[in-house]
Amino acid sequence: MPGTRRRRRETPDRGLALLAALALGLYLVFLVLPLLLSLRSSFTNENPLRATNDFVGLRNYTEMVGDEQLRASLKVTLLLAFGVTIAANAIGVGFAILLNRTNLSYRVMRTVAFLPQVLSGVIVGFVWQTILTQNGVLNTALLKIGVLDEPYPWLGSPNAALFSIGVVVAWVLSGFTTVVYLAALQSIPLELHDMASLDGVRGTQRFRMVTWPMIAPGTTISVTISLITVLKLYDIIAVLTAGGPANSTQSTALYIVKLAFTSDRVGYASAVAMLLLALSALVALTVTGALRRREVSL
Amino acid sequence: MIRKPLLAACAAGLLALTAACSGGGGAGGEGDETALTYLVFETPSLTAKFWDDSIAAAQAEVPGAKINKIVAPSTDRDAYAKQLQQSGQFPDLLQSITPSNFVGAGLLKPYDKTWIDANFLLPSANTLKGEVYIPPTNSQIVPQVYYNKELFTKAGITAAPKNWAEFLDACAKLKASGVTPIELGGADPFAASMPLVGIVSADILGKNKNWLQDRYADKVKFADANVVTAVQKYRTLVGNGYFDKGALGVKYADSITRFTGGKSAMYPMGSWFLGSVPKENADNFGSFPWPTDDGSVVVPFVGGGSMAISAKAEDSAMAENFGRAWSLNPANLKALIETDGAFPMIKGKTLDDYGVTVSQVFKDSYAYVGQDNNKVNAIGWATNDDALPPGLNDAFYASAQALFSGDDVAGEMKKLDEAWKTATQ
Repeated sequence: MPGTRRRRRETPDRGLALLAALALGLYLVFLVLPLLLSLRSSFTNENPLRATNDFVGLRNYTEMVGDEQLRASLKVTLLLAFGVTIAANAIGVGFAILLNRTNLSYRVMRTVAFLPQVLSGVIVGFVWQTILTQNGVLNTALLKIGVLDEPYPWLGSPNAALFSIGVVVAWVLSGFTTVVYLAALQSIPLELHDMASLDGVRGTQRFRMVTWPMIAPGTTISVTISLITVLKLYDIIAVLTAGGPANSTQSTALYIVKLAFTSDRVGYASAVAMLLLALSALVALTVTGALRRREVSL
Repeated sequence: MIRKPLLAACAAGLLALTAACSGGGGAGGEGDETALTYLVFETPSLTAKFWDDSIAAAQAEVPGAKINKIVAPSTDRDAYAKQLQQSGQFPDLLQSITPSNFVGAGLLKPYDKTWIDANFLLPSANTLKGEVYIPPTNSQIVPQVYYNKELFTKAGITAAPKNWAEFLDACAKLKASGVTPIELGGADPFAASMPLVGIVSADILGKNKNWLQDRYADKVKFADANVVTAVQKYRTLVGNGYFDKGALGVKYADSITRFTGGKSAMYPMGSWFLGSVPKENADNFGSFPWPTDDGSVVVPFVGGGSMAISAKAEDSAMAENFGRAWSLNPANLKALIETDGAFPMIKGKTLDDYGVTVSQVFKDSYAYVGQDNNKVNAIGWATNDDALPPGLNDAFYASAQALFSGDDVAGEMKKLDEAWKTATQ
């Protein structure tokens, strides 16, 4: 009997170890290995259509210093990352407060609010393209009600196209941020609100003194994930503008793909990918650190 | 209790995945059949049915060939072929790719020149370093200027412009009549570049057919004064308001609808547009070559064609036989002529031999192919020795878009030279 008990204890452990090994194996093969291969490639002049690829040391990294297209793409990426993160989180907090009820209609609305997040970026791009092109739904409606005299180039002028992409991405992310803030709001003990009421604290004052500090952990998660999502943004831009007009909406991720598969410069594309990885890590760590410190101070 | 079945399922899944991965090679087939992978692309004209029918017909002429169709996710076949090459899945047959992108790596096998010479009107149209990797079954003019006759008449224009001055005059009259003179699908980079392709092909390549070879040899540059002066013409068209102000927001598909719907009067586009001319009022449309200063005719020509063969195909002889059978099938050309505006280039055949129904504007445009005129390789579209280096097309498209909203012609041309230097290093 004791032997049987020992066997029963060992079997689940072995099973868990196997599952963990499987997960670790997948992580190593599909994440760590490609990362290392990309790092190695970044020190070569790898070209998919060339028989030999040579080690070029730091040449790819030094070339980045004078690469105007890279600089422009980084500017676009950072502008979108910070602009969209602020907008999506503001919308998320607003929607979460509106939807923080328990009856059926609010539960349905919560599902609707989350809908943009579950759609594929490519589908989102195509849907918004029909809205934003010169003959699109938006221009047609605005012309019909007399707001515009002629169609506005929502995707046809550099600034408007960047703004349009920002709006679309903020719309997508707001589904996610709404759910995060809703969860954060529901974790606030009701007693706190009751006490605030007794103290005569209402409206914006209650939001500032009770709600905002209490949803700080949600803010950390929401802001960090929003930032990382936008820093690697590719699909929506590829469909909506393909980086145009004149590369004015080209994100760094889009630039990397073009370098690798249009210009055949896989080595240099890998170096730019390493830069984007480092930048994303730096931004994520800095922002997470700052928000964590804020959580403690609140 | 549930862990063992779960583990078993995981193991089975992994085994299945491993089996699927190891069995994913292109070659191999049932019985005596040899499987060949064939990269194609679909458009509203070249539908899945077109490819399936054309494959079945060619397959019937090549016993033992089993074709596995791969459809590119977009019309950019080159980019997808490169991705497939990166992942070790380079197809055995590749429809309408740019051979210069792949020949350097030894990935393509040339066709037998005797067969090419025997079957095509311009056997050297697709010649790359002395070899032909794509049978020149058809050709295109990129761009021609298509125009709406009714809108011309309403604006008081009695004939199609023959030179640059007449073209500007026509634009001014059309604008005065309240019509957008020139349509531009600027949201799609390739369509945005059409006027620039016309200008550079007509004004620069028209005067020096070897200009692109000279550019490769570093004897000329985009920033040279003659190129800058020519490109300045595009700024003149933009500055005078001859395009819709929001043209960079107009998709290529929408630009066709706008032009055929009478919202604009002229449309510089590749001759594939002929497949979109509405049948019910086809006679209302005409065409003329992109105008030059002195009125001389320059035809920006592209030798199109069918498929390239992978040098690594398991049975490259069978792959070539399939390519030959597909290329010479009149039924394939019929569809391409009617729906894609392709100009047929098979020796000894007239339009009637294909049993096609084409408009007068098609016949007028096709006439330029047969005439003895100044044909040049359309910049950015040629797939022969005059093909641009990898990545240059994107730079050219970006310049075209940038020059729509900015006037730094010299700066944009300098950027093209820098992009050229990087691409050819």
